[in-house]
Amino acid sequence: MNNKIKNVLTSNEMIVAYIIIGLSILIGCVNSAFFGVSTLVSLSRSMLVMLIFAVCEMVVIISGGIDVSFPAVACISLYATIRFMLASGIDSPLFAFAMAAVIGISFGAFNAFLICKMKIPPLIATLGVSSVANGGTLAFLGTKEISNIPEHVDKLSQIFIFTYTNAGGIKYSLTVLFLIPVIVCIGAYIILKYTMLGRGIYAIGGDKNAARIAGFNVTKIQFIIYMTVGCFAGIGGMTYMILMRQASPQVLMGSEMMVIAAVVMGGARITGGHGSVFGTILGVGLITLVQNNLIMLGVPTHFQTLVVGLIIVIGISITSLRAKKIANSAKV
Amino acid sequence: MDKLKTSLKNTDKNTTALFGIAVLIFVIMGILAPRSFLGIKNLQGMCVQFPEFGILAFGMMLAMISGGIDLSLVGIANFAGIVGAVLMIRMGGSNFSIVIGIAAAILVGALCGVFNGFLIGYLQIPAMLVTLGGLQLYTGLGLAITKGPAIIGLPPAFNLIANGTLLNIPVALFIFVIAAVVVSFLLKSTVYGQHVSFMGTNATAARYSGINNLKVTIYTYGLSGILGGIGGILMASHYNSAKSDYGSSYTLLTLLIVVLGGTNPDGGRGRVIGVTLSVIVLQLVSSAFNILRVNGFIKTFVWGIILLAIMIGTHFIEKNKQRS
Repeated sequence: MNNKIKNVLTSNEMIVAYIIIGLSILIGCVNSAFFGVSTLVSLSRSMLVMLIFAVCEMVVIISGGIDVSFPAVACISLYATIRFMLASGIDSPLFAFAMAAVIGISFGAFNAFLICKMKIPPLIATLGVSSVANGGTLAFLGTKEISNIPEHVDKLSQIFIFTYTNAGGIKYSLTVLFLIPVIVCIGAYIILKYTMLGRGIYAIGGDKNAARIAGFNVTKIQFIIYMTVGCFAGIGGMTYMILMRQASPQVLMGSEMMVIAAVVMGGARITGGHGSVFGTILGVGLITLVQNNLIMLGVPTHFQTLVVGLIIVIGISITSLRAKKIANSAKV
Repeated sequence: MDKLKTSLKNTDKNTTALFGIAVLIFVIMGILAPRSFLGIKNLQGMCVQFPEFGILAFGMMLAMISGGIDLSLVGIANFAGIVGAVLMIRMGGSNFSIVIGIAAAILVGALCGVFNGFLIGYLQIPAMLVTLGGLQLYTGLGLAITKGPAIIGLPPAFNLIANGTLLNIPVALFIFVIAAVVVSFLLKSTVYGQHVSFMGTNATAARYSGINNLKVTIYTYGLSGILGGIGGILMASHYNSAKSDYGSSYTLLTLLIVVLGGTNPDGGRGRVIGVTLSVIVLQLVSSAFNILRVNGFIKTFVWGIILLAIMIGTHFIEKNKQRS
């Protein structure tokens, strides 16, 4: 029992949690305005889209693959959808999400086809798809930023779960869209932990051949994974657009690096087979916290990339060293 | 004649295919727009453009042969370029200061690379993660020095490195050729070259056969860093300024070039000639698009298609080989 508690307290997730707590106290000491509902609300808002992507990326990484195409897929989904809706006059939030999801799923299926059927390494396949999707968006759909989003879709950004007014009379509202990552997280947790599919994902990441021999349909599971990721990339892109109230064809490009870093810091191993939803949430939380609040610590803006980079390198080193230590430790 | 035949036999299908594509583009463009495409201005322009990402691609190739990947090259290049530029300006812009600046840039590149190699080889962290973090780290270092805007006011003589010509041939092309020859020599004719491809094929077997994997890894990423530094000098000289976010599309581009050039993404195999040809093919495609006034974004689209097509083609060739 004692051992179990010790294991929990020194697990990867807890280390990230300690870093978050330490950093929060540090920021709180320098600037007391940090401790308040407002920080929590603004943090949740900035985490929102990254969290959707991160949980999906985590599932891919657990299965031993990697997906760097999701920002491009998200961009093409949101941009194509909004172009289509403006051209045809459809104005329904449900349709927006559905169409974005369908575009995402088709790209996901293409990824899965390249990886499973053509045996292209996941990194290269998704890089290629990313380049095709991004180039295609810019070349065939246009480069203009669209800000006249259909009215009903736009209204979603003004629906809040709750609103908090601070002493100075400034309102902080948590958007209803925050429910999407919450559902994604709970869904991923249940699937990974309690279903055969989830166990299969871990099994593939551990050893593909062993999983096949144990009776898992590797191709089917990989198709499900990449198509789901594509689906949520589309939904995430649509969410981002509603939050920003603007459709831009390549606004999310480049976010893949941060998302992968967050997932790895949360304890997922890039070699596959390990990772948890809770860890990923903490990893995303840490990176968002650093990105949002360094300014409160008095770090000038031009040092922020450096500090985020340092935290990523240190975080990755700690996780990898721990993985190495566990691998080398005596097994019963 | 016999020698020629055997050497023809030895070149793999990938190289031949790339060579064929290059010739094809030349012929098509020669018919469509002979004046502008085959004109000396365009040829010179192409030779100025491709060395900077071509040299970065060699760095990526080395890392990939060793079984890893180097996503931090662009970060290293910009950081090295910035350090070199700052030194040159601080020292007054004399010829001596240019030499010092270049040396510093290469040294910075080497140090960044060695740091990557240390994390990968000694701490056994996957190369993709290290260099992903490294990209952020080196870009951040560059940003911390420049505080955002580009560093301008570089000495005019430095500008000539990328933009000057010697006997009507751009100087940058000479640098590219030298880099290609040196990397090719290292891979083919030195012990290091043998070791790195052994390690890339099977790291465990390499260790048991007495290869010092840590040393080889650090050398590889150090070399890759040096190439990154040279790329950074060319970029700074080409734009006549240094900034932390130049060439952000080069990461994807270099990966594409290297894979297109027949390098095995899992490590162990890769040839300088293949990478050189694929650099040239991509530059030809890009110039052809510019001359035909096609929307520039189609380039990204077509590059992606070419990458996937080559990978799918290789898959079917391998499958046929296994069957026969």
